[in-house]
Amino acid sequence: MKSLPRLDIQITSRIVLVLALFVLFSALESSFATEANIYTVLEGFAFTGLVALAIGITIIAGEMDLSVGSMAAVAGVIAVSFAGWGLTCAVLLAVLVTATLGALQGVAIGLLRIPSIVFTVGTMIGLRGLVYILSGEETVVVPDLKMVEVIRHPVSVFSLFSLITIGIFILMGLVLSYSRPGRNVYAIGGGRMAATAAGVPVFRTIVLIFTVSGILAGLAGSLVCLKSGSAIPRGLEGLLLLAAASALIGGTSLSGGRGTVLGIALGVMTIRFVSSYIHFKAMSYYAENLAIGALLILVVAIDLLVATPSRTAHE
Amino acid sequence: MKDAAHKDPTAPARANLRHLVVPLGVGGAALIILIIGWMANPAFLTKENLLQIVRSAALIGIAALGTTFITIAGHYFSLAVGQTAMVCAICFAGTLSAGWGVVPALLVTLLLALVLGLVQGYLVGIGANSIILTLGAGVVIYGMAALVTDNKVVRTGTDIAEWIGRARPLGIPTQTYALIIFTVLAHIVLTRTRLGRLILLVGANEPAARATGLSVRKATMAAFAIASVAAGTCGIFLAAQIGQGRVDQFPTLNIEVIAAVLVAGTAIQGGEGSALRTTMGTIFIALLNNLLLLSGQPYGIRIFVMGFCVVLGVSLFHVLRQRTL
Repeated sequence: MKSLPRLDIQITSRIVLVLALFVLFSALESSFATEANIYTVLEGFAFTGLVALAIGITIIAGEMDLSVGSMAAVAGVIAVSFAGWGLTCAVLLAVLVTATLGALQGVAIGLLRIPSIVFTVGTMIGLRGLVYILSGEETVVVPDLKMVEVIRHPVSVFSLFSLITIGIFILMGLVLSYSRPGRNVYAIGGGRMAATAAGVPVFRTIVLIFTVSGILAGLAGSLVCLKSGSAIPRGLEGLLLLAAASALIGGTSLSGGRGTVLGIALGVMTIRFVSSYIHFKAMSYYAENLAIGALLILVVAIDLLVATPSRTAHE
Repeated sequence: MKDAAHKDPTAPARANLRHLVVPLGVGGAALIILIIGWMANPAFLTKENLLQIVRSAALIGIAALGTTFITIAGHYFSLAVGQTAMVCAICFAGTLSAGWGVVPALLVTLLLALVLGLVQGYLVGIGANSIILTLGAGVVIYGMAALVTDNKVVRTGTDIAEWIGRARPLGIPTQTYALIIFTVLAHIVLTRTRLGRLILLVGANEPAARATGLSVRKATMAAFAIASVAAGTCGIFLAAQIGQGRVDQFPTLNIEVIAAVLVAGTAIQGGEGSALRTTMGTIFIALLNNLLLLSGQPYGIRIFVMGFCVVLGVSLFHVLRQRTL
């Protein structure tokens, strides 16, 4: 575990960044701080946040789940296809499928002791194929748009979707910080051999994080597709970038063992604010991606400059 | 990401078995596909179809050979290969349509690829995670290209470019010659040059390489530069073949290249791998794709099978490698 004062500096700097961006964009754009726009930002937070949490947890554990985007897309197609059974049923079914896929993936990675990057790049490709197969290469739509209204119906700046996400963030934050499985995640990320020697159940923890990753990605994919009323086969492709960038901007360290749920939430807010501002400037989607990609590289570079001494100690 | 525990480049004699098993495995799988294809569909084993397969394999193969250097250097793969190829296709088409000669256009395009590779290699060399960095780099390259071209098609508009892309000296497409030349070159660089050995050693055991005074940064930059120039070459061929460059041109190139490299048993933890294996992996993927395409399988099935092969390939070779070490 890292010493607390250092963590505080990291979190404080992120809070300051988010606040500074909010003040800056509000000053530059008069309609930025309106209720309608905050609602939009929070909808984006809900969507990106769950997936950022999914990949973030695997990164904290010293692994990396590249399949989160495809996993979300699988859940989206399933949820929309079965929307006729009722929203709760559809979401549960979709999440059950992605949880199972995630668990299987975790078992394979844990048993084979294979670097998760190469394994999940294979499942990232394969699951994308599955999305096309399940959807019959067509856009699938919900039978009635009115029934999905409940997911996005605004209550002040919130919706059911963003409230669920915020609830999950709080839950995951508590679990990671205070429960034994949560601490095990940090332990195997901080040093695999030391964790094994200390009696941490490495295999079980790996299965757990990939299952959780599947659940979170599945929940995000099913809710966002239901919300929009449709799922397209090549949808949610840019999700991996958004999720990874959010997790890293939130201070999750790629060398494992470091990162917090609060940090990830702040990372997602940073991304959503930047993204929202670019929307106001009426720039194209590739300008948005360009900005996020550049931000990601910048964060990686800063992380390198700041963390270099501790990194060499880590290896 | 964690357990890069023990890898020994000067592997013992038992490893020889592995060197035999891997080519036999992939070669055998390719042969089985050939036989199935021949039995299932008479159009599969025709000369025209095989040349078609080799031509598409060649393009992916050139990029995959470059990426092999990244894998061997211990950095898995790049998620910016497709975007590099795309931006080079646009640069090549753009300079030609601006009235440049073929040679200056080629040089400028390859220089662009080289610079992109060196920048990524430098950042990875000082410690950046290659997957995250290339994920970001890919998006940035794509965004820049989209902004510069305003998302429009850039045509080459010259006959010479068309020759590069479509000519068939002695009845064989130009791309095939290029793949053979690239395979031989990559093989020689990996096995016979100081640079190749440096990349292998750094990939096998970075701390040891660092301790013996080898330049990890130089090896990483070289690996990314080679990969980027290879991707650029692939882009040039593609632009020449269809006479244009556009940002959405090669949406699946990244995954096809990754599949070709990983399916053929290049060590995913670095330090081991060969050009011949990657070429075989490419041909395997191309055969499989073509067979599925000819038997009328939709895109989803093809992608699914490709992903499945990657998962199966990396798992098998990983287990095999751990057993023999």
